[in-house]
Amino acid sequence: MKRAPADRIFTALADATRRQVIRALSEQGPSTATGLAAGLPVTRQAVAKHLGALADAGLVTATRRGREVVYQISPRPLTDVVSWMADLGARWDERLAALRDHVVAARRQERR
Amino acid sequence: MDAVERAITLPATPREVWPALTEPRELSVWFGAAVDLDVRPGGRGVFRWPDGTERPAVVEAVEPERRLCFRWLPFQRTAAGGTTALPATRVEITLDAVPGGTRVRVVEREPFALGSRRASTGGGLLARIGT
Repeated sequence: MKRAPADRIFTALADATRRQVIRALSEQGPSTATGLAAGLPVTRQAVAKHLGALADAGLVTATRRGREVVYQISPRPLTDVVSWMADLGARWDERLAALRDHVVAARRQERR
Repeated sequence: MDAVERAITLPATPREVWPALTEPRELSVWFGAAVDLDVRPGGRGVFRWPDGTERPAVVEAVEPERRLCFRWLPFQRTAAGGTTALPATRVEITLDAVPGGTRVRVVEREPFALGSRRASTGGGLLARIGT
């Protein structure tokens, strides 16, 4: 099944722990799995696994620095989500304008 | 709020507006798609767009002349017969009687909220788009 970027992101973020991980990453800035695990109620291994899933969705990027891997938030996918939301909003604007036309026309007809 | 939110005031009573939300024939006039929707909790629906895409939905809540909620299923069928995954957002349409007519409010929400702490994870951005 083809996946729209917004859907891939929502799926990656559907897990509560992954949301905690990404929130911690946004608060702490670029961090290692060990550094993030210190502030979270999960093991370093679990954090590393979640970081892998977030990287697959393009939400974080991994950079090797010596023996460590440093993760940081990647802004691009969030731009995709924002544009998806903006598109959704524009569709509702059109629909509600059409709804008004429809309701006004229906009332006019009834009064005849 | 991590949602798209829109509202409009219509010069009609909630009783007059309600059929426009619940009669498939009327929904099809303004929704931009041919709508086949069984408007009762658990009822199924299919929205067919002129470009050939189709998206199924399930009705979650119905309060006559007051509120309609449905959830998009997490995929759509393309004109070519393929399938595209999409977020299973929830649409809530509420009607409120106001002086001069009815306030129609639409909220289409992400499958989950990112949480109350905005930080830079996107919640803040989505909130700005949504309001």
